[in-house]
Amino acid sequence: MPPHPLRVAVVCSSNQNRSMEAHNILSKRGFDVRSFGTGTHVKLPGPAPDKPNIYDFKTTYEQMYNDLVRKDKELYTQNGILHMLDRNKRIKSRPERFQSCRDQFDLVITCEERVYDQVLEDLNSREQESFQPVHVINVDIQDNHEEATLGAFLICELCQCIQHTDDMENEMDELLQEFEEKSHRPFLHSVCFY
Amino acid sequence: SNEEDKAFDMTTSERVVDLLNQAALISTEEKLIVLKQVQELVINKDPSLLDNFLDEIIAFQTDKSIEVRKFVIGFIEEACKRDNELLLRLIANLNMLMRDESVNVVKKAILTLTQLYKVALQWLVRTKSVTDMQEACWDMVTQMKGDVLALLDSDNDGVRTHAIKFTESLIITLSPRTPDSDTPKKQEGDISLDKIPKDHTYIRYDTLCEEGKTALDQLLKFMVHPAISSINLTTALGSLATLARQRPMFMSEVVQAYEMLHANLPPTLAKSQVSSVRKNLKLHLVAVLKHPSSVDFHVQISTLLQDLGMSPSEITRCTPVAVQPRKRLH
Repeated sequence: MPPHPLRVAVVCSSNQNRSMEAHNILSKRGFDVRSFGTGTHVKLPGPAPDKPNIYDFKTTYEQMYNDLVRKDKELYTQNGILHMLDRNKRIKSRPERFQSCRDQFDLVITCEERVYDQVLEDLNSREQESFQPVHVINVDIQDNHEEATLGAFLICELCQCIQHTDDMENEMDELLQEFEEKSHRPFLHSVCFY
Repeated sequence: SNEEDKAFDMTTSERVVDLLNQAALISTEEKLIVLKQVQELVINKDPSLLDNFLDEIIAFQTDKSIEVRKFVIGFIEEACKRDNELLLRLIANLNMLMRDESVNVVKKAILTLTQLYKVALQWLVRTKSVTDMQEACWDMVTQMKGDVLALLDSDNDGVRTHAIKFTESLIITLSPRTPDSDTPKKQEGDISLDKIPKDHTYIRYDTLCEEGKTALDQLLKFMVHPAISSINLTTALGSLATLARQRPMFMSEVVQAYEMLHANLPPTLAKSQVSSVRKNLKLHLVAVLKHPSSVDFHVQISTLLQDLGMSPSEITRCTPVAVQPRKRLH
């Protein structure tokens, strides 16, 4: 087991569903976890597919909740968005953008390939200073409630396995291969340096 | 007033003594908190105390906790950055920690040597007449440099990753910065070959220049090893992009290495690892393409990027306007 608890970041697009579900489970299991989105804005489903609710990253989950209650309480209760926002505001006050965070992590887990690309681009564009490595792993998770729950359990299992390795960097490759076989999902994996 | 300063000093000093006494008796987690307070006091608050408490702090290098030993390495780095003369006393300790039984300690020691190599070189270059002690210190730094380069062949994947990053930094230091070098702001003050006088009494410009070239050869050779792991391949690809941008003089070697690798991906890579490596290759090629000095290699880079799935219009968008073929004005 690594001497210090892994510092984990889970990242999706809007820091609402997939990353928050994982954040919730990982923190309950004792991980040092933060969650982020990489989008320019926070998007939530609206009354029609082409009419999403768009907020900036400064808006709190509470404000979004109140906004949606005002707009159409029934719709957003029925589609689970209010429930999700209610869960989110118990975890932290507002969504956070990965690109604006300067804290360092050991492991960054992304929930879709586009988000993985944005994380790699951001980390590679920063000036290197300490050369401390950070491993970035993508686990594809569809953006709906059920998949987010399943995905969060998979991420949690993965983090637990990584946390329990004697030598994370030396065993990571093999571990990811095993997980790919077990979960029938391909994982993208890269390393960047702070 | 003077009296007040003295009282102030005594309190800080006494506090350090007290913290160090505590540190000897408590659990690892608390020990780390206490030792970090000590570091803050003797490095930032009152550096005049540094010399006095050095031995007591360094004694923790034999602590049974990996985290405490890693702390000592971090402390060595900060202390030597604060007072370069301390390299004389501390480099041997770092050398010892680099042979630690824990790979995590070894990796931390490599990260610190990456920083202190530059600090030591700059310090000696500034010195007009080098003492025997300083010579011995630089000889040890040079020996450690060789040890880390040899770790490119380590059995441990993470140690190899750290050795690659050390090699990258070493090549940057031991080659000249040129007007087309794309130097990160934080590294603007760093020493590089162009700042080393050719008539220095102890530091030999030609030797360092050769050592830099050898390091580049070693990195290039490392990259074509058929059993290289996907993570180390990724690391090396990034190092090459850094070299191309900060030392455009190596552009040709870098582009050639990218071409070679693209044509001969290691057979040991799994399917998803191939996807990861190709994605990284694309990312780094774009970064190189954006550097004006890659203009002579645009054909090769564009071909590679197209093979990796980028459309010609996307490639054009990543090409700096200044080096796109210019329209005649008349």
